[in-house]
Amino acid sequence: MTDPIRDEWYPVALVSQLGPEGRDTRLLGEPVRVAWQDGAIIVTSGGHTLPSQQRYGHVWACPGTPARPLFDIPEADQPGRRLVDVGLVRVKCSPLRAVENFLDIAHFPFVHTDILGAEPHTEVGKYDVAIREEVDEVWATKVHFYQPQAAKSAAGGITTEYMYRVPAPTVSILYKTCPPRPGEWDVITLFVQPLDEELCEVWPWMALFDDDTPMTDLIHFQQTIFLQDRSILENQLPHRLPLDPGMEIPTRADLTSIAYRRWLKRRGYTYGAQLVAA
Amino acid sequence: MPDWTPVALLRDLPPLVVMPVTVDGVDLALWRSASGRIAAWADRCPHRGMRLSHGFVRGEALSCIYHGWSYAQSGQCQRIPAHPDLEPPEAIRVPVHHATEAGGVIWVALDTVTTAPPALAGVQPLRSVTLDARFDPASAGLTESGGAWRGTLGGVAVAVLVQPLPDNRCALHVLAESKASPTDLVAASRGIETLRRQAEGVSA
Ligand code: FES
Ligand SMILES: [Fe+2]
Repeated sequence: MTDPIRDEWYPVALVSQLGPEGRDTRLLGEPVRVAWQDGAIIVTSGGHTLPSQQRYGHVWACPGTPARPLFDIPEADQPGRRLVDVGLVRVKCSPLRAVENFLDIAHFPFVHTDILGAEPHTEVGKYDVAIREEVDEVWATKVHFYQPQAAKSAAGGITTEYMYRVPAPTVSILYKTCPPRPGEWDVITLFVQPLDEELCEVWPWMALFDDDTPMTDLIHFQQTIFLQDRSILENQLPHRLPLDPGMEIPTRADLTSIAYRRWLKRRGYTYGAQLVAA
Repeated sequence: MPDWTPVALLRDLPPLVVMPVTVDGVDLALWRSASGRIAAWADRCPHRGMRLSHGFVRGEALSCIYHGWSYAQSGQCQRIPAHPDLEPPEAIRVPVHHATEAGGVIWVALDTVTTAPPALAGVQPLRSVTLDARFDPASAGLTESGGAWRGTLGGVAVAVLVQPLPDNRCALHVLAESKASPTDLVAASRGIETLRRQAEGVSA
């Protein structure tokens, strides 16, 4: 029998930052060690070696038996992109709340004021949301939003188009119009490592067309954004994501979040979730 | 029996400010509008559960910091910035509790109360302090009178209001006699510090 929680792939380390001492961390409440062994990286937990692989700059591990291959980001292999290892931000929140926040644009003017949004440009227009059955992923497309400074490479305010994709319960990928390369999308991901149901480490990672901005500025920009998000995520009640309607009141701008919650429930992914309205 | 709980001194909540307070273990967002009206609400936005005490006050409304939903004095949602043309449904409403000001102190009652908060005559607000310990007024030489604990701190007559907090903590809201001089007030303030250290079991 498959376990919808243990059989997923989770990020546990950044390859480029894994020193010879390795990394002692946690996954789904259990201690996990990521270490070098004979030039390879292995992940162990409770005396067992876990299935693991290196992809998108990170070490991925599965505490159970992988139910499916790691999701694909074709853009990661596209020539000309800069791959940015942002590093981790620890957040005292449910891993699912972290993902849901990443899918949300309506907070930009209030949480990322003058960076990703600004009053009075607060309106969220209609966009499309679907659970793509053939790949079992949540997709939101045709999302448009006004941004005063959409990316490090954007000088002034522009209307940015986004696509959001949830390929795994604790992973979200954002595609965003790329100012220097019309027709291409910048890729910004949020890989979430659930330490336990109310504590996670988020690993943002980017694949950008931007040859000019210094790497430290790119990392700093993204870290600034996530620290702003953290001040929200650590103050949401209840701490776990309510999967049943009733506790919270969504509007049309929240269609992605509604689809995400429904998709989690359907998959039986309840780690960090609250099922019955308390 | 439902009753008033002292939660802050009025001077610590100027207009356009919101702060978290706790009454009977319930987290509240205490805020004051531009015109000075005081309100105590459930500290949770009905949209996505963000604490409203992290929000911001504009005019007579409190807004949530997450998506900017704003709520009128009644607790009713009046604006959803993501949908500026939408009239927010009646059902979007923050639970509202009772808050009032008396003698420079803000009092909150979770449920309807029939009495008024105690009128504290002859004293002026001095300061509030949070104790990492329970507080036993009697062992500090204070006696209850007219809804407050009376006695002296630093040689100055004071009235002390105790607000119990979770985890064996509490807040003291201290008022000093009206005729106290600035020097007296400094002495009373030092007295509060001594009291706090004693209650917390920290040596001076
Ligand atoms: S959580 Fe308060 S406005 Fe969204
Ligand atoms: Fe954000």
